[in-house]
Amino acid sequence: MATVIKAFKGLNTVNTVIKSLANLSLNKSISSSHFIPQKILSVHRCAFLHTTSKKYDLMEFFDDPKNWPKDTVKVGRSWSEDELRIKSNEDLHKLWYVLLKERNMLLTMEHACNDEYVIFPNPERYDKVEESMKNLENVVRERNEAFYFLETGESGERPSVYVNNILGLKQCYKLCQHIIPKYCNLSWKEKHRFGFNGYAVRKFLRLYREKLWNIKRKNRNRESNAAITLLKKFPDLDIEALKHKYPSIDINKVLRHNKLKGVRRKSYIV
Amino acid sequence: MSTRYYPLYQKGNPQLRIFLPNFWMKLVKPQFNNPPNIVEFHCSMQMTRLDIKNYLEKIYKIPIIKVNTRIKLGKFRRNELNTVIKDEDIKVAYAHLPRFESFEFPNMFAEQRANKVKDKQTEKEVSEPLKKKIEEHNKYKAGLPLWFQ
Repeated sequence: MATVIKAFKGLNTVNTVIKSLANLSLNKSISSSHFIPQKILSVHRCAFLHTTSKKYDLMEFFDDPKNWPKDTVKVGRSWSEDELRIKSNEDLHKLWYVLLKERNMLLTMEHACNDEYVIFPNPERYDKVEESMKNLENVVRERNEAFYFLETGESGERPSVYVNNILGLKQCYKLCQHIIPKYCNLSWKEKHRFGFNGYAVRKFLRLYREKLWNIKRKNRNRESNAAITLLKKFPDLDIEALKHKYPSIDINKVLRHNKLKGVRRKSYIV
Repeated sequence: MSTRYYPLYQKGNPQLRIFLPNFWMKLVKPQFNNPPNIVEFHCSMQMTRLDIKNYLEKIYKIPIIKVNTRIKLGKFRRNELNTVIKDEDIKVAYAHLPRFESFEFPNMFAEQRANKVKDKQTEKEVSEPLKKKIEEHNKYKAGLPLWFQ
């Protein structure tokens, strides 16, 4: 316990608190009655472990005053998913708020730096916090999904369906709950018009499909022409490599092309 | 997703809880001369006054009396291609602290500026004798290209 207190005394910045949180679950197991008498423990139970910094103040929005004049602020890496998977839900919840505060701090400092025309030291800190928040959310999502599959046989994700929009194109629509049922919800109906009909839309779709097909066709022609010129220059080309480079072309068709009539290859793979 | 997708709230149901809020807030230097107990924030656009109050009270443990918000219009400006673009709107929040509390925005970069001035002076002190030395060295080689020196 004493080591824990020592460790926490030395930590001032939020960054270091984040790192120290990694040992949190371990510390809890240590803080049993072996070290401290029961009576004292009941008084100081909350005082020994702090996941967030002690002072609750508006100054939490700013970086540590020691870092103000510095050009570079060194910090560790972000939390990976594997590290977060080991943690309990409670720890993750605490860590989320630490990260949230850190992000707010960085945003505040960046804004202040921009106002004063000063270079913001180590802006990648923000990315690190963002990444660890993203990872944390993924881990929570995983757990949620596992729970829902166990309990209900469905993932607890927000349901979504593919619908045709007014132009006849496929679109992902995320479902949500409504108080008024669908058939009499006029405001919803006005906003969400699914399905298509009419001459104009059909013409648009026809032309649109033609355009997509033309793009595909032109790309294929371009690639086959490139392959032919390569084969003309280097008759003994590795066919597998060519296939890998131009996946859209039919190699056998290219090899039988009129432009390659006079070219003699040592080995034909046909 | 569990943390971002909430079921519909109907009157009489238990209150919905946010477990992992992803709102951001930043404390900014006040634009106008506000009373000392008013703090200016920029926050995410979805936040309401109640959200801001709860955010500061629950997460930062700051007692808040009242919150006012307004939406600041983003600036219209021309980019390098000379097309008109608009910056994003900002939600500005004015949080009222209790009556006799005060908050002053810290002057964070004074020391850094002073250090920079000092650094420049020390640079001068170091570089000037060196400059003199080089000048003396090149005294009789005026006009000679650098390659021959």
